[in-house]
Amino acid sequence: MRSQLSPDAQMLAAVVSAQRSQFKAIAEAWLTSGASSFSIWAENQLLKSWPTDSEIATAAMRAPIRLNGAEIGELQVAGIGTSAAEALLRSEAGLVSRLARMEKELKGMTARLIDTQDQLLAMYDLTEATRNQLDMGELLRQLAYKTAQLGATEGSFLMMKQEDNSLFIEYYPDPLLDEEIMRSCLQKVQKTESELLLNLSETEYSKAGLRNLLFVPIRIQGEITAALGLINKRDGDFYAPDTKLARVIAEHAGSRLEHLVLYKESLDQTKLQVEADLAQRVQLNLLPKKSPQISGLDLFAGSRPASHVGGDFYDFIKLPNKPFTFTVGDVSGKGMPAALLMAMTRTVIRTKTNVEPTPTPEVILDNCNSELYDDFTEVSMFATVFVGQIEPKNNQLVYANAGHSPVIYCPVKGEPRMLEADGTAMGVLPTSLSEDHTITMNKGDVLVVATDGFSEAENTAGEFFGYDRLLKVVKVLSKKPAKAIVEGLYETISNFSAGHRQDDDQTLIVLKTI
Amino acid sequence: MNLKVEQKDELTVVYLEGRFDAYSAPDVNSQMESLSEKQETPQLIVNLQDVVFVDSTALATLVQAMKRCRQKDGDLRLSDLKQPVRMIFELTRLDRAFEIHVTEEAAITAYRA
Repeated sequence: MRSQLSPDAQMLAAVVSAQRSQFKAIAEAWLTSGASSFSIWAENQLLKSWPTDSEIATAAMRAPIRLNGAEIGELQVAGIGTSAAEALLRSEAGLVSRLARMEKELKGMTARLIDTQDQLLAMYDLTEATRNQLDMGELLRQLAYKTAQLGATEGSFLMMKQEDNSLFIEYYPDPLLDEEIMRSCLQKVQKTESELLLNLSETEYSKAGLRNLLFVPIRIQGEITAALGLINKRDGDFYAPDTKLARVIAEHAGSRLEHLVLYKESLDQTKLQVEADLAQRVQLNLLPKKSPQISGLDLFAGSRPASHVGGDFYDFIKLPNKPFTFTVGDVSGKGMPAALLMAMTRTVIRTKTNVEPTPTPEVILDNCNSELYDDFTEVSMFATVFVGQIEPKNNQLVYANAGHSPVIYCPVKGEPRMLEADGTAMGVLPTSLSEDHTITMNKGDVLVVATDGFSEAENTAGEFFGYDRLLKVVKVLSKKPAKAIVEGLYETISNFSAGHRQDDDQTLIVLKTI
Repeated sequence: MNLKVEQKDELTVVYLEGRFDAYSAPDVNSQMESLSEKQETPQLIVNLQDVVFVDSTALATLVQAMKRCRQKDGDLRLSDLKQPVRMIFELTRLDRAFEIHVTEEAAITAYRA
């Protein structure tokens, strides 16, 4: 019979059975003061009566036991009916009511406590599972799985917008929604900045077994670029507590994702920095520390790297029984690949000069091009290279130019002119087209082999320094020693492009016959 | 920078517009790559009429695209170079590596000759 009692009445029964001795004391007090019976009822069912073995006499007094305004039972006394007794019974019923109310509150609190504890444990679990997770896919997968567990849903997903606007989505257990609806949901929550609850039972999605969807925005670095979705709440609909829980998970997911994004960013930055530093070290370490002493020649070189490393290089090759060889080059492209190719080009030029029986500039360039053509093609770069040789005995300059500029020859008598390339840059064609050219230099003639960092130096008005200015400056400086010419050129370029960033390396060799 | 492609029968004409430099080169490179991949014998004309500036990365991009085409027995030819751009091709002697035509029509005629 008890099973038919309402939950509140059942609770009253539990209170009575738990406080049996107290009720017994109350009953005995009534019996002692002349009552023939005392009984407790819940919704017209007898819970307990005293004396225990006798029939229950018709009640003379009744007092209701109330819970939140509704009557859930009553106390009955037979054999006494005075107004004082009635007042006593009412106050006793009042006490039982309070007892029932407290019991109910306690039960509610216990239930909430257990819920909270469960959630705390689950959240702890979620935190542990996603801690130190540095793989985006794995993190999203873990989050999706835990979301479904915590939210008691049949499915879930985590989605995140990538830099290229594509969506990174992880489902648990299977994909149930297409990307289109996800994209439109994300757009909606980006506008409303709050969660979206969709009832899908009347839509085409119901055919795929979808009932309801709770879509919760996730903020990453202040912007809604991700979301979590809970699909098909087990046994029913999503209510306020589900939303609340989902928000907490979303917040946690947001912080984990943000952490990961920041980590990746700083990792990328560090990688770039490390690469730039390495490239710069490669480049700087390969440049000759000082110019060699060659009788009859005044030589000076300089290289001013741009903030991001380019691929400029220069080298002096002074070997026994070989003509004195010098080279200036510029590898297209930047960073580590350019620095490595530059190192390779420099090494190959050195080796060819050393091992070839008659390593004229043309031969050096041709051999070097054949050797490195595939490597240049592999990384889609090329290098402009000038190779010169000078015989101090007769001041004969032999040079070959693979697409390199600017190279300026400034004779002591006459106007400076460009020594233009006849072959294209190294790495462009399988065979080199550069040929040897000879100039007999007179005492006081100047050769400036620079890189395009000079001619393409830009001023704040967006003008290039250009070849005409360069020719004029070289003419003016040509009376000075090589070192002063180098310094003078750097100074002129610095003044011209003051206030404008140096975009490219500026490298040069100045050679003067004395 | 803008890139437009027009198929003229067996020939693919690529129109570039703007500054062709290290910033725009990667994008141009990937589009050129897919163009040369799609065709068995890629015959490209790059019309540089609206290109005002090229840097060394841009040149490297064109060189690479040209190499890809030639590997498949095709070619990449240039047309309508503006004076500053033509100068850069001449200084680096890339005019000896590329077949360069004054106009697109001339490039088309040369292909079909």
